[in-house]
Amino acid sequence: MSDGMHRAFRVTPQAASTRTYDVVVVGSGVSGAIVAKELAQSGYRVLVMEAGPGEEMSLADYQRSVERFYGAVSKDNNAPYAENRNAPMPRGPETRKLLPGVPDASGYLVQKGPYEIDSTYTRVLGGTTRHWEAKALRMLPEDFELRSRFGQGLDWPVTYDDLRPHYQKAERELGVAGDVADQAYCGIDFEPGYVLPMHRMPPSYLDQLIARDLDGAEVTLDGETYTLVVRSTPQARNGVPNPAYDGGRGYVPTGAVSLDQAELGLRCQGNTNCVPICPVQAKYDARRTLKAGIDTGRIDLLTQTVASRVEIDPETGRVTAIDFKSYHDPLSPEHETGSVKAKIFVLAANAVENARLMLASNLHGSSDLVGRNLMDHAYLLTWALMPEPAGAYRGPLCTSGIEDLRGGGFRRRQAAVRFSIHNDGWGWATGSPYTDLDLLVDAQNRFGADLRRALVERVSRQLLLDCMIEVLPDESNRVTVDPQYLDQLGNPRPVIAFGIPAYTMEAAAFARRLSKRIFQRIGAEDHTAYDPGAYGWVNYQGEGYVIRGGNHWAGTHLMGASARTSVVDARQRAWDYPNLYLVGAGSMPSIGTSNTTLTLAALCYRSAETIAADLRDESSPLSLVAAEGAA
Amino acid sequence: MSLHHITTIAGLHRHLEAAMQLEHATIPPYLTALYSIRPGTNAEAFNIIRVVAVEEMLHLTLAGNLLNAVGGKPNLTAKGFVPDFPAFLPDGESDFKASLQPFSKAAIQNFLQIERPAKSAHHEALEVEPVATGNVAVLERHRQRQGAATLARPPAAAGLRAARVDDDTEEHFFSIGEFYKAIEEGLEALYAEHGDALFCGDPRLQVTGEYYYSGGGELAPVTDLASAKAAIRLISEQGEGYEGGIFDHEGEISHYYRFEQLLLGRYYQRGDDYGKPTGGTVPVDWDAIYPIKANCKLGDYPAGSDLYRAGEAFNREYAAFLGLLTRAFRGEPEVLIQAVGDMFRLKDMITQLMRQPLGGTGSLHAAPTFEMP
Repeated sequence: MSDGMHRAFRVTPQAASTRTYDVVVVGSGVSGAIVAKELAQSGYRVLVMEAGPGEEMSLADYQRSVERFYGAVSKDNNAPYAENRNAPMPRGPETRKLLPGVPDASGYLVQKGPYEIDSTYTRVLGGTTRHWEAKALRMLPEDFELRSRFGQGLDWPVTYDDLRPHYQKAERELGVAGDVADQAYCGIDFEPGYVLPMHRMPPSYLDQLIARDLDGAEVTLDGETYTLVVRSTPQARNGVPNPAYDGGRGYVPTGAVSLDQAELGLRCQGNTNCVPICPVQAKYDARRTLKAGIDTGRIDLLTQTVASRVEIDPETGRVTAIDFKSYHDPLSPEHETGSVKAKIFVLAANAVENARLMLASNLHGSSDLVGRNLMDHAYLLTWALMPEPAGAYRGPLCTSGIEDLRGGGFRRRQAAVRFSIHNDGWGWATGSPYTDLDLLVDAQNRFGADLRRALVERVSRQLLLDCMIEVLPDESNRVTVDPQYLDQLGNPRPVIAFGIPAYTMEAAAFARRLSKRIFQRIGAEDHTAYDPGAYGWVNYQGEGYVIRGGNHWAGTHLMGASARTSVVDARQRAWDYPNLYLVGAGSMPSIGTSNTTLTLAALCYRSAETIAADLRDESSPLSLVAAEGAA
Repeated sequence: MSLHHITTIAGLHRHLEAAMQLEHATIPPYLTALYSIRPGTNAEAFNIIRVVAVEEMLHLTLAGNLLNAVGGKPNLTAKGFVPDFPAFLPDGESDFKASLQPFSKAAIQNFLQIERPAKSAHHEALEVEPVATGNVAVLERHRQRQGAATLARPPAAAGLRAARVDDDTEEHFFSIGEFYKAIEEGLEALYAEHGDALFCGDPRLQVTGEYYYSGGGELAPVTDLASAKAAIRLISEQGEGYEGGIFDHEGEISHYYRFEQLLLGRYYQRGDDYGKPTGGTVPVDWDAIYPIKANCKLGDYPAGSDLYRAGEAFNREYAAFLGLLTRAFRGEPEVLIQAVGDMFRLKDMITQLMRQPLGGTGSLHAAPTFEMP
């Protein structure tokens, strides 16, 4: 783009309403950013609509978010971002223990239970990748065939082999650091000679201690024996580029996002607050992709604008426009309304918000599956003290995990599970290190140098294993809307009904037993305790567990082989509305034991190809000539 | 005749040693200004200085690669390697000294002097006349800026070890770019004489890109004339731009114009004229700093105090850090990964010092002195 266009990509609601785009994308998170960038680079004119503030394209803006996080009392996922009543966000600390039959509407999500979920998402430029941890695991080949292999869940209309080339594109875009040799397990295979863009994050000292004592341990489950191995975790975080990448051409990492010079965002420094915000921008977030798209000069960005309704032509079933509400002040309800037009519309607002927008538009789909089959990972946390100082709070949140129970014949009976070894102590489970300080001061009357020593001694020995457990699609787990629950702009808020199925709890009980064995084997003292008064408490077969959400919302517009059984096709096109795509984890018929981002990114590359083909079929790009004239 | 032709291998080694000394000499001034900024303020300014400091570390490493490539032996622990600030730069500019100062307009002016372009399209170069003055051979260059102000460099300087040609002679360059130009010419001349034998260093001593990368410029091994010239080009262009332009070959803005943005309050973007940036604003709060004493010495610290011991401890730690870098240049590049943790510790020690008033009259705060034990 020419220099005069430095900030010309920002459009006003009025300007956006008068232009006709090839594609309108709702949401600037990783799904929307990939689709927008791919289509802009193919010559199409794209509008990206973002509900949150768009002031996130300079180092100073980013630094303000970092400082807000530092200053926040609650270090929750959305702590770095200012309150926004017009695009509210779920906040973990808002989660309350539910009374049976009484919905909790105190936070943004209206929770009906029976299980109260503390999962969140982030409504700012770049979406939830602004707070994600950046684990970038591929799904297993068997995750795509759960129904036919194990008689559980659903099959995908896409196989691992179909998705493999798109996984590679996603790994390039996100900048994944990892070791392919460590990732070849449970049937995952790679193209011969393939390497990831960057070398793996170095395993932490804690990882090494655990590997030393645990590697080779055997677990028997349903007659099959599994050998446990500590493996490095692939993640979208800048590390050391692999010179062998791309046939020896190597990889140049992308760094901090700014419209001006910003040679920041280099390799990870191990600050251990990846979630919610990396202070040095070593972690990928979708603004990088969006910025690359903006640099084509063919993306308009409309921020502080919430999509409120999808308009359908009743005769053709085609989307004619998306209505929006645009505001100036995040705290004031004042807003203006308008609508935008395009040939193709893409909803990329995440699994909850996509469903919310469809349902707010009274679009339930001919299958009535819009908003149903809501999934997330169920996390069981287990924690212990290592027999010696193990160096907690150094490195990214997790550098290694145990993957051997992600797949296997036991999935006929219980869910798959993977384990992450945490470098951030017990923080997630207990609120450490703040709670450790409370304990040492209030309960043990320590002070001065003795207190400092005791704190270091305790915190540096902390080990937390998170057990990430699969949840299968269930039509009664769902997002709905209800006119009695509206946000400040009058948009309906998501109403969540969610329960943890027995298939998942069976794996939770197994994971708890296994973690005890692991702690025993490595000589760690188990400190795990579940409080019946805590939200997320689940009683299963007489034992109590606390299950936490994983922020991996999925399934609300799942893909399938027919309009009767699914909402979108294998390319994420809505069966009922030929120029509407619903993209992101909402399309996933299962989530296995992978964080959803890498897979949904791969799916979006597939969709971008199809959308480009649709546009080619319709006519030449609207604005190709004009855009190149301006470039 | 040119006064500083490099005609011998020994001369080349000496110049490359001076290059390492020079690159390092910029780092204490930049780090002092950088860490004097109060945390959480001046995000844009902080990053501009940080990027330059990081690139100086790249240049230091490239200079080390150059020296190793031609069979030299880098040593960052040699007596006098760290200048006694305020100090003339080791390439011999004699009209200014590099200073340890808090983040301020004066500090940025000083940085502009350090990074000033050797030649640029907008600086009409006048005649270049070598002048000899007594025992000191001086390259006297007069340059006229567009505003017709004349920049003249007086032909005098205190003896600088690195700039000594022999017992009686020392040389002075107008800018870092000209200094590297002389090295490049020397390399070419010596290559014509010695051929590939010039690059007799052990290639295993080269520090490679896996240990360093930044937004602009990669750390490449130096093994032959082409890679040596590429390293020199990268150092020169990152400092002062391509052919004196605002941006270098790769489109990265040069250090000189980076710093200028702080005074002009706005970012440059491609296509801009000198002095007239049109990018986003660079908001600067000159008051959001720790009011540290410029060119602070341990002698300024209260004797026998905890603060004094902390100042000494920093100097010891910094000396140890230079020792670690020396090991990295002598065949153990992997210690650079470990050095990352050391840099965090150095930063902590610096900011601890800067939070403490020196006491006595005035309200100035302590600052690291970089006096090597």
